[in-house]
Amino acid sequence: MKHFIVVGVLVIIVAALVSMGLGSIQLMPTQASAQAVPIDNLFGMHVKVISFLFSLIVVFLVYSIVVFRRKKGEEGDGDHFEGHTGLEIAWTIAPLATVLYFSYLGAQALAETRRADPQAMQVNVIGSQWSWRFEYPELGIVSDELRLPANRQVLLKLSSIDVIHSFWVPEFRVKQDALPGANMVKELRITPTLIGDYKVRCAELCGLQHAYMESPVIVMEPAGFDAWVIRQTALPTDPVDRGALWAKQFGCVACHSTDGATIVGPTWQGLSGKQETLTDGTTVTVDADFLHTAIVSPDAQVPQGFAPGIMPKNFGDTLSAEQINDIIAYIESLK
Amino acid sequence: MKILKLGIIRGVIAQIVGTAAGVGLVTGLRALMGLPAWAAEPAAVGGALIGIICFLAGVGALTDWWKWALGEEVEDHHGPDPRGWERYFGVSVDHKVIGIQYGVTSVALLLVAGSFALTFRTELVASGIQFLSPALYNTLMGLHGIVMIAAILLGVGAMSNYLVPLMIGARDMAFPRLNAFAYWVNVPGAVLVVSTLFLGGFDTGWTGYPPLSARAPLAMQMFFLGVYVVGLSSILGSLNIIVTTLRMRAPGMNMFRMPIFVWASFATALIGLTATQLIGLSFQMVMIQRLFGMGFFDPEKGGNVILFQHLFWFYSHPAVYVFILPGLGIVSELLPVFARKPLFGYKWIAMSSLAIALVGFLVWAHHMFTAGMEEYLRVPFMYATLLVAVPTGVKFFSWVGTIWRGKLEFPTPMLFTLGAVVVFLFGGLTGPPNGTVATDLHLHDTYWVVGHFHNTMFGGFVYPFFASIYYWFPKITGRKLDERLGKIHFWLMTPAFWVMTFGMMWIGLLGMRRRIADYDPAQGFDGVHLVLTIAAFVLATSILVFVINLIFSVKGGEAAEGNVWRSRSPEWQIASPAPEHNYDRPFKVVGEPYDYGLPGSTYVDMNPAMAGD
Amino acid sequence: MSADTAHMTDYKFKLSNNRLGLWLFILSDSFVFGGLLVTRYYLLGGHRPELDQMLGLIVTSVLLVSSFFMNRAETAIAHGDRQNFIVSTAITMILGIGFLVGVIGFEWRTAPFGPSDGAAGSVFYMMTGMHAFHVLTGVLFLFVVLRNGLRGRYSAERHWAVEACANYWHFVDVVWIFFYPALYLLGTPAG
Ligand code: HEA
Ligand code: HEA
Ligand code: HEC
Ligand code: CUA
Ligand SMILES: [Cu+2]
Repeated sequence: MKHFIVVGVLVIIVAALVSMGLGSIQLMPTQASAQAVPIDNLFGMHVKVISFLFSLIVVFLVYSIVVFRRKKGEEGDGDHFEGHTGLEIAWTIAPLATVLYFSYLGAQALAETRRADPQAMQVNVIGSQWSWRFEYPELGIVSDELRLPANRQVLLKLSSIDVIHSFWVPEFRVKQDALPGANMVKELRITPTLIGDYKVRCAELCGLQHAYMESPVIVMEPAGFDAWVIRQTALPTDPVDRGALWAKQFGCVACHSTDGATIVGPTWQGLSGKQETLTDGTTVTVDADFLHTAIVSPDAQVPQGFAPGIMPKNFGDTLSAEQINDIIAYIESLK
Repeated sequence: MKILKLGIIRGVIAQIVGTAAGVGLVTGLRALMGLPAWAAEPAAVGGALIGIICFLAGVGALTDWWKWALGEEVEDHHGPDPRGWERYFGVSVDHKVIGIQYGVTSVALLLVAGSFALTFRTELVASGIQFLSPALYNTLMGLHGIVMIAAILLGVGAMSNYLVPLMIGARDMAFPRLNAFAYWVNVPGAVLVVSTLFLGGFDTGWTGYPPLSARAPLAMQMFFLGVYVVGLSSILGSLNIIVTTLRMRAPGMNMFRMPIFVWASFATALIGLTATQLIGLSFQMVMIQRLFGMGFFDPEKGGNVILFQHLFWFYSHPAVYVFILPGLGIVSELLPVFARKPLFGYKWIAMSSLAIALVGFLVWAHHMFTAGMEEYLRVPFMYATLLVAVPTGVKFFSWVGTIWRGKLEFPTPMLFTLGAVVVFLFGGLTGPPNGTVATDLHLHDTYWVVGHFHNTMFGGFVYPFFASIYYWFPKITGRKLDERLGKIHFWLMTPAFWVMTFGMMWIGLLGMRRRIADYDPAQGFDGVHLVLTIAAFVLATSILVFVINLIFSVKGGEAAEGNVWRSRSPEWQIASPAPEHNYDRPFKVVGEPYDYGLPGSTYVDMNPAMAGD
Repeated sequence: MSADTAHMTDYKFKLSNNRLGLWLFILSDSFVFGGLLVTRYYLLGGHRPELDQMLGLIVTSVLLVSSFFMNRAETAIAHGDRQNFIVSTAITMILGIGFLVGVIGFEWRTAPFGPSDGAAGSVFYMMTGMHAFHVLTGVLFLFVVLRNGLRGRYSAERHWAVEACANYWHFVDVVWIFFYPALYLLGTPAG
């Protein structure tokens, strides 16, 4: 009995110390959304339970190791004690109750992160290898960065044009995969609460440049957001400038550089007018027609040193004819 | 040609020839069918398949079945194997030889996969690209994962093959030839998996999710095929274990008098036998999609990418219990020996293994909480997931009960056993935060999860595996592993390991994604990553010490006759190394397996009076 | 104990092992087919592929009848009736080949879609292909049994190979009893 009292006291002390120790270091990133609150609270409770259970077993273990170890010259075996049904039942029931309670809390917290605000602003988030595109259908804006007004819920509709990506801003906590397929649009609700610059970081392995599939997320004052909306809705008049904009927004620059470097696809610098050797051995001069085909059906003419099937094949659908012409004008301007 | 006497050499030569023949065959067939003759992918897959079969034929794993099909008589028990090291390099049907073959292969794969880890950990030492291209990083990372998992499966095979027949008093497994086949099929499988490094790599990680895997380079096919073959081995091995356990026990050994490891092995085999088929199926479907343009996982053809994840995790979650149950069985087996006290609550521990295995079938979708699967599944799967904590807890509390008031001794196997308990405890406790959906929305695909599973796999497999090697080495070789080196191994490995996984979990919470070749310096993880890499190298050093110990002790270790650890288990009542057919005559079970501390009690009667005598 | 009876008990012991092993194998294999059924319902739901009903009915009947002959073969050898055993085994094998010809030779050629035409095509070819692969192994197994049977390898007491072959064959047949309605009967046809 004496042993049990000592160990009991030790368990409480150690658990308290561990729990306090963990409480004193920063475990989570800045809390920047309303959805982060229930998640952090639940995680905090997990940390307490983990601290307690870990201490409970380890203290018993260490105590046995220290106190009951075989002393020098000691012979013989330990007590012959085969088990105790009451105890076994007790330590089946207690964890059972704990995990049922945690499941209940988990369901509550999940419901809270999904609570819908009818006033929410919709943003379509489209992932592609290896960039994000954000469309604000109510505002007619397409952007390569996600700007959000603070304290207003946003309803993200996530999709992908190629492989699986995952939308995650650590400061917002919640995460959702973006899937290819027309009927696979997934929803995520976020209410940003803290003004600042963050990043959406693709959290599902999506191939070569997965590590770099990060885009800015900017939470702004509502007034600043409105000003940005006004600036965005006015398009540049020069087709070359518009082309540059599309190239950024539709993620071309994730694979094509404009400075001569090869990222994944051929560089656009000096492309127009160049003699391009294709994989089938033929040589062609790059003109507007060639560029048009290269964009809408990339596998039709693959330059030497590159593989087919990497560049998305559906730009013919996602880009309008004017946008394609703008991009061609832009490529032609890159001497 | 003396060297051709070695089965493995014949096998490898046959595999090379067979692969070439397969490539030719596919190309020829395509030409006949009027398709463009040369297509790299079908040719490679055909070649690999035929290569596997030729390896098995060459090594001699198919000979008996072929003879049987021709109607010739075949004996179930072959003559004695060649003496010495040669017998480990050819087909033997002796479960002890096969167990050692599994074990050595497992350690070899552990070193290979560990070396991959060291390579990419060095890349992660600071942000920015140091020396690995992202493509190579992805390949090494995925290979590290899958080769480690193969190493675990083989290690599990090693423990159950070597120990189960000895512990239940059988002469061998129920199906010795099948047993040999199940081992040998791993070898070409492992060759294929590692060949991906030279065939352009793959970039999907060990999970191989389509549509990414449907677009990955040719090497992806070799990955799928190799893993498929390793899975086949698991299925056949499990079948063998179940029949052996149910049918081959010594007289008097009812189910609740088996050594506890046999229970663990049995529960493991139930998973391996059934669930494995579904990872096989899911991988086959991607292979076929790539080869014939089928659309299972191609949304443009009416496919669905979530379907793959369901099929994949239906196996791959239960598989994690395949990794740990034998290890936890080892813990339950060794604690009583070194505490000199009965196993606390034998029946509860036995039943908890079964419970973990069964509940483990109902939780797979917890890997898909953020994947965009059917939303109504999330909450039920959360409840099921957390339920696994209950039987696992029973094991922990019973272990505490076992050592409480024992007379503890601390030779190396015991150190690794205690290490296993603490490490696995922490790994297990970090499971429930993943399981409650809301928190997983943050934790999914971060280094927190990486930390969680390194903890569970080290605690549930690596530590117990080392414990069992230190413990049964004298049984296998008649010599002991060096104690001093063993202790160095333990005391280097443990702190390094804790630093590594704590660090992983911490940066994971703060926003470090998994499977990235490079990280954003703005997040400020450079320092922690440096520490992680150093810890990884210390860990590797400790394993190097272990390997040196193994090599040295096989020939030069201190001779260890008889019952070194004063165990009650039957395998320690006979000579070491164990004789060819284990026991000269069947023993009889007359008592409880773990009655340490009960004077005059015996577990097995090695020389029972026979009815006919 | 005479050496002979010792041999027989040994054989009986192994026979029970083998039986348990075979049942476990069948259990394991049924997970593959279960997975395929799940795939079918996951991808196609209440729709089914557009297929030739007549052909489906014919191949199904052929396979069911083959199971009857398989059973006859096993019963015959258990009673030591070699003649009947050989004939029934041969008929089973021929019916099995007939099934394969029906599915691969006709159904695969006449189906209004190819393996790469949408989910229905993928599901249909995968399910029938996997099943046909099992039928093919069954046919090979039957061939071995037939050949060894002709050489008088089996007796009323010792015919494990025949028993195993029969059970495997029935299993493959039962699988088709699930596949046939899933592919041909249930749901509304979709192109
Ligand atoms: C050996 C392997 C192993 C083991 C044993 C476990 C055990 C558990 N795992 Fe883990 N897991 C993995 C290997 C393993 N896991 C791997 C490899 C991955 C990543 C795969 C990938 O994506 O690559 C993963 C990922 C993973 C996820 C997905 C995370 C994500 O990607 O988002 C989840 C989610 O629920 C999870 C949960 C659990 C739970 C609840 C347990 C439970 O079984 C743990 C139970 C044990 C305890 C809880 C401790 C002891 C119990 C007590 C002391 C009793 C009292 C306890 C309580 C009341 C809580 N694991
Ligand atoms: C048993 C399972 C197991 C084990 C033991 C390990 C061991 C290690 N793992 Fe493992 N790891 C996994 C299973 C395992 N891992 C899995 C499944 C993944 C997921 C993959 C995926 O996402 O797809 C993963 C992912 C993973 C990552 C995340 C990668 C990423 O997401 O980008 C990291 C990062 O640090 C890591 C590190 C390590 C390290 C440093 C070790 C160290 O412990 C290694 C120690 C070193 C050795 C064991 C080798 C010793 C070698 C020598 C001494 C040299 C001598 C060599 C010869 C003689 C040939 N692992
Ligand atoms: C995922 C990577 C990726 C993205 C995103 C991408 N491309 Fe490409 N692109 C490639 C690759 C690889 C090639 C070379 C192989 C080929 O032609 O298919 C290529 C080729 C081209 C070429 C032909 C270049 C030459 O040298 O002949 C043009 C023009 C082009 N892309 C335009 C675009 C435009 C416009 C966009 C965006 C709207 C875009 N690409 C987006 C990868 C990409
Ligand atoms: Cu997109 Cu990772
Ligand atoms: Cu899991």
